[in-house]
Amino acid sequence: LNAAPARPPRSRIRFLPAESAGPPELVAVRVPVLAEHRLVRGPRFTQLKIGAGHRLDVKASGVFVLGVGHGNKLLTHLYNCHLTKVYTVSGEFGKATEDFSDTGKLIEKTTFDHISREKLERILAVIQGTNHKALLMYVHSNIDMKTQEAYELAVKGLIRPMGKSPPIITAIRCLQFALPQFQLEIHCLHETQQYLRKVVHEIGLELKSSAVCTQVRRTRDGVFTLEDALLRTQWNLQSVQKAILDCQLKVKNELEKTLG
Amino acid sequence: KMAAAAWRALRAARPVAVPQRGLADPAGPPSARRLREVDEAAPVFQYVGKAAKRKDRVFVWGFCYSGALGVPSFVRPDAGWKKPRRIQATPYRLETDGKITSAACGYGFTLLSSDTTDITKVWGMGLNKDSQLGFQRSIRDRTKGYEYVLEPSPIPLPLEKPQKTRVLQVSCGRAHSLILTDSEGVFTMGNNSYGQCGRKVVEDEVYSESHLIHQLNDFDSRVVQVVCGQDHSLFRTKKGAVFACGWGADGQTGLGHYNITSVPTKLGGDIAGVNIIQVSSYGDCCLAVSDEGDLFGWGNSEYLQLASVTETTQVNVPRHLPFKIGKIKEAACGGTGNIVLTEEGSVFVWGYGILGKGPILTETAVPEMIPQSLFGWSDFSPDVRVTRVRCGLSHFAALTNRGELFVWGKNLRGCLGIGRMEDQYFPWRVTIPGEVVDVACGVDHMVSMVKSFI
Repeated sequence: LNAAPARPPRSRIRFLPAESAGPPELVAVRVPVLAEHRLVRGPRFTQLKIGAGHRLDVKASGVFVLGVGHGNKLLTHLYNCHLTKVYTVSGEFGKATEDFSDTGKLIEKTTFDHISREKLERILAVIQGTNHKALLMYVHSNIDMKTQEAYELAVKGLIRPMGKSPPIITAIRCLQFALPQFQLEIHCLHETQQYLRKVVHEIGLELKSSAVCTQVRRTRDGVFTLEDALLRTQWNLQSVQKAILDCQLKVKNELEKTLG
Repeated sequence: KMAAAAWRALRAARPVAVPQRGLADPAGPPSARRLREVDEAAPVFQYVGKAAKRKDRVFVWGFCYSGALGVPSFVRPDAGWKKPRRIQATPYRLETDGKITSAACGYGFTLLSSDTTDITKVWGMGLNKDSQLGFQRSIRDRTKGYEYVLEPSPIPLPLEKPQKTRVLQVSCGRAHSLILTDSEGVFTMGNNSYGQCGRKVVEDEVYSESHLIHQLNDFDSRVVQVVCGQDHSLFRTKKGAVFACGWGADGQTGLGHYNITSVPTKLGGDIAGVNIIQVSSYGDCCLAVSDEGDLFGWGNSEYLQLASVTETTQVNVPRHLPFKIGKIKEAACGGTGNIVLTEEGSVFVWGYGILGKGPILTETAVPEMIPQSLFGWSDFSPDVRVTRVRCGLSHFAALTNRGELFVWGKNLRGCLGIGRMEDQYFPWRVTIPGEVVDVACGVDHMVSMVKSFI
């Protein structure tokens, strides 16, 4: 950053006495402002303020939003938008562990040959239904259910809790199913990755077997998708600058739409 | 000096105990090899076999004091310090002997039936003051019968071939009930003051503790559906004809007069010659659906149920209701409101009361559609459809293809089962641990037949 070409140095007009034989004359001379010179001030960037967006576990992977400098303020605004995040969660039937992931201490092993994709989808439909009901109950907690306003909100279906709330899953579906592994796509709000691992564990319990979570991968965080995310090999200045420029418009539109 | 040398020799001879670290394992995350070893050594538990069948369950909720829920501990608690439960606000599992295929809720009583070939096919619980549950012999006094039946008790039917006949469907009205069998016609019991049981009205007949169960077999073809209104009965036969008997002061018998009928008589009017595939009634209004998706109605129209075709408030001849809402698949009638389900899966309501479109819409003569998003439809799950609609006296129920149950309407004594006592102005999910297959709505209680998930 410091090696990048800096702003052209400012200059100012000074009236300096000129060398002349007779009475001293003042000549307007353009001189550079030395106070802004790199050798006087030092390098322009000594530290950068980088803030992190929604948390990502050590064992999880995926899109992780960071804000640089002014972007930290945008991060706060994005947090207040309460946008949904999309995860790809992979699980494996047959084991139950203490911390719901496959590296934890084994608690129990069960059979899973009775599980079929149809049964899994039934359980997912129930999870989606109860979470939808929880979403409606939460959003209507400060509105009287008996008003027309509550009815209009429920019909729209696009309501989101605009404040703190327990984790809510807005949509869940099965992407792949090959016993014993399965993969789910989960759209959620206010969640933690450990909560998603717990959901996988509970799905295993509902199916009268057990399941552990093998992979949690965030594929979308609000407006940022996998396409916008930088790979480990792209963690250099040019890619970061390009990414910031590309996302600026998207973020501005989303903030305007939600927060007005 | 010699002593020091001796001490040194002794110290050298004695083995010095060096602290070992052999007993405890070193701390830290277990290595992959250790994990694999533990994994292989663990026993595998089997909770459910590969060919396990899904279990059939019955859930009940609503007003308990009449005994209609079939759980005796709600009315007579088993421990002295417990208080009787007046309302069961959330679904409660009812243990049944066999698989229940048909259930019906009347006004304070319930009938459950199973299509088995065993001797016991029908169970009843709740109010029995008019012998709507048959004669339930009291244990304490063998000559008397119970007025309230607190748990599902078998109803003895006078069948000719009890081990061959199957009970297909049951239906309950205000104080009478109908049981449909596959080969022996319809059995009726209960109050007959208006001829709703299909037999001649006997003056000053005492209906409580009566052993009389009447059998009706004289129809133009086999009866395939029986429906009880408040004080009248409707029978639909295989040929598509509808027969009615009972009270007719609101025209609910549809026979062209306002008198009572004590013998099932065929209906005419706009349904003459039409193949009717479904009939519905619960209060004093009746609806019928033909195989071509047309809707016919007759009976009470004080609440604008039939106001789209006529101004009269009592319609005693079936009239075609020309609604332009699509082909109709199923209709259900309540006390003051009606609901239909079309072939595309849309739900329409009309009538009076809490119709399900918010607190503002209280009456309409023309059907209004309830938005699909209220039943769980969204861009993410666009294949959610309503598959069944049912009506109680002042509330509605809808089942979706995902196995979810939505209820709305007046929450009379907790009959909605949503855990709250307030009325519900738009469809709300009922949380039931299973996939709901069918539901029966009564005045102040509901019964649902549920399949377990696995």
